[in-house]
Amino acid sequence: MAKNVVALIGTGQTKFKTHYADKTYIELAQDAAKLALDDAGMEPGEIDAVVFSMAPTQFMGVNDCDRWATSHVWGAGKPFMRIHAGGATGGSALQAGYVHIASGVYRSVLVVGADRVAETPDAQHILNLIWDRFYEHDFALNTVTMTALAAQRYMARYGTTEEQFARVVVRGRKNAMGNPYAHLRGDITVDDVMNSPRVSYPYKRFDICPRSSGAAAVVLTNLDIAKQKSTKPAFVTGVSAITHSVFMGDRMGVYSETEFSDHDGEHIAAYEAYRQAGITNPASQIQVAELYDPFSTFQFPILEGLGFCGRGRAAAISDEGGWDMDGQVAINPSGGTLCTNPIGVTGLVRIVDAADQIRGKAGQNQIKGVHNAVATAAGGSTQFFTVTMLGDDHAPAGRVQ
Amino acid sequence: MDVFVIGQAVHTPAARIGDKRLEELVFDTAHAALADAGVKRAQIDHVTIAGCDELDGRSISSMLLAAPAGAQLRDEMKCTDSGLTGLCLEAMRLESGIFGLGLLVSWSKPSTAPLEDVMRMRCEPFYTRPIGLNMAITDGLFAQAAGAKYGFDEFDADEAVLDGYRRGAANPRGVGHKVPGVEAISVSPYVAAPLRQAHQAPITDGAVAMVVASERWLKSNPRARPLARVSGIGWRNEAYDLGADRLSGLTGFRNALDDALTMSGLKTAADLDLIELDSQTGFHELAFRAALNGNAPKAISTSGGAFAQNPYFCTGLINAAEVILQLSDQAGPIQLPGIKRAAAHGSHGFANQGNVAVVLERV
Repeated sequence: MAKNVVALIGTGQTKFKTHYADKTYIELAQDAAKLALDDAGMEPGEIDAVVFSMAPTQFMGVNDCDRWATSHVWGAGKPFMRIHAGGATGGSALQAGYVHIASGVYRSVLVVGADRVAETPDAQHILNLIWDRFYEHDFALNTVTMTALAAQRYMARYGTTEEQFARVVVRGRKNAMGNPYAHLRGDITVDDVMNSPRVSYPYKRFDICPRSSGAAAVVLTNLDIAKQKSTKPAFVTGVSAITHSVFMGDRMGVYSETEFSDHDGEHIAAYEAYRQAGITNPASQIQVAELYDPFSTFQFPILEGLGFCGRGRAAAISDEGGWDMDGQVAINPSGGTLCTNPIGVTGLVRIVDAADQIRGKAGQNQIKGVHNAVATAAGGSTQFFTVTMLGDDHAPAGRVQ
Repeated sequence: MDVFVIGQAVHTPAARIGDKRLEELVFDTAHAALADAGVKRAQIDHVTIAGCDELDGRSISSMLLAAPAGAQLRDEMKCTDSGLTGLCLEAMRLESGIFGLGLLVSWSKPSTAPLEDVMRMRCEPFYTRPIGLNMAITDGLFAQAAGAKYGFDEFDADEAVLDGYRRGAANPRGVGHKVPGVEAISVSPYVAAPLRQAHQAPITDGAVAMVVASERWLKSNPRARPLARVSGIGWRNEAYDLGADRLSGLTGFRNALDDALTMSGLKTAADLDLIELDSQTGFHELAFRAALNGNAPKAISTSGGAFAQNPYFCTGLINAAEVILQLSDQAGPIQLPGIKRAAAHGSHGFANQGNVAVVLERV
């Protein structure tokens, strides 16, 4: 158990869309920081340190752009560091902020970031550059084709169909209709998804997230400040991040410790976070999950890895409505990453949405009786996994001492 | 703060390490640190990485480098500011109480990255990029402003550089740069007046790794041999924009050091026996010394600092490794007697926008 309680008392996110022609990168980051500070009832001077969340800077075109943003997020003169874990960046940045407080080194931390993924004409070209220079750049490997390969393997293992993946998209877009910040939303059908243009089997266009621009921020504090500033904080009750090999082929088969198509590291990270949070039966103790699912095929293996059901069962439960807003666990009430993906902060948006559910601030998408929520993020070659547990009680029964 | 370094390794530096891929450089260094600590990777419960995508020439460089850094199926976190920032993050992770034994790895191989191209792309696109700002120009502006404030000039910088090379030449862990004559320094071409080419510390390739333990882990592993205790950490960023106060104030340097000293229960840098400064130019060395404001430790940059080796980005963590060697009586021919408390300094960004300090104590 951590030495000090960590509370989340403020959240902020901008609206997400493809382009922000009227704002610079640093102005976007500032907007989110201001929203989170206002929500926390704090002035910038009350923040001890800043953690900046930003993934590859090649999307928006300024190297180490966090340095440019320092003053705009009120970080000048303060302890300031940037965290980067590819798509898992937002989750990892939150966990870096967590150790600032849990260690007792600082009392209050602003975790903030922004991204403008669509500044580059072709994000998938940038994402081709994440691979090994000598062996992998020269064939068409990018995050779409990479995850399509994993999806095909998952389908072969569990018999999941394209239509079942399409229902994930339909549910996400429908949920996003109640989220004023979501990039994509709408009342679409399984046929709409199935009839959208083929990109890479099993993906059609609607199976894939948008390239989003926007920003997000949270304020973390210790228990004393939380008591002064907030009547209902969300406590960070468990944190874990697991990193795997970049090589997908090493993560399957008889010699592998884990199974690539199952989003292997997610399960390990989840059960460590659960151990810290005192979660022994996730399906009954967790009411909301905000998942990093930029492709429709991510949701089922993640849900299984999180222990909400057995391997290969998530699709059938989805068909029965078990992951709907009124299902056994509300999955992505916000619409999730399929509807909004500003890569450098997507994991942080998941935290914002999960924390807002705990704090009763999720607006039209508020789920009743949320005591525990889980937020995930994933990055690299689906190799970086973060799992963060949030709860309404900082000392729940069963929590590891 | 009760965090302990129990093993470390610094890769043999060179202007260009041409016989290894970056993955091999990182693996060899991480592996050597584990061996120095006498622990297996299986005992490590987390890894902290300090690396820079842009200098590595990859969009998410930790994808390929996390596993060689020991992070396969481990809890891993990466910061992108500097190697010494990584030590601060690692210390907080251990101090949080949720980890016991960690591996910190940082690297830089600028011989494969055109450093000034990387730095120029750090400019925002509206004002500074069109005028062609880069690292040399920002360092030149810093030299002008700090020189005017503290009363030093390029001739003083010539001597500071010469002194740095002399100290570096005595350090067996340095590249072994030939000590130049002062004339060669003073007539080298200007890169951004008053900064001359020879005022800049030569950039080298390198890597460094440390095995770091919590007090709880040490108590349960009494055979482990702590090399030094991390007693204080501090890091500050200043504004990106380069006004006169920002350039000459050295506020970030002073405050980062004060944070680390205060956490260690010390009042001023004079309470230290040694500080290893991350001075990228002779002007930086003069400015940092001036900013100590009469409270300088007895010894400064005994290792030669960046003039011994300078894997830009992780030079500050190399400084920490040199401090740890001094505290554990392993510094070889440059060992100082009676070193009990010492600090490592790191800087990063245009005109040292970021400053980091870590105070370490003899165990």
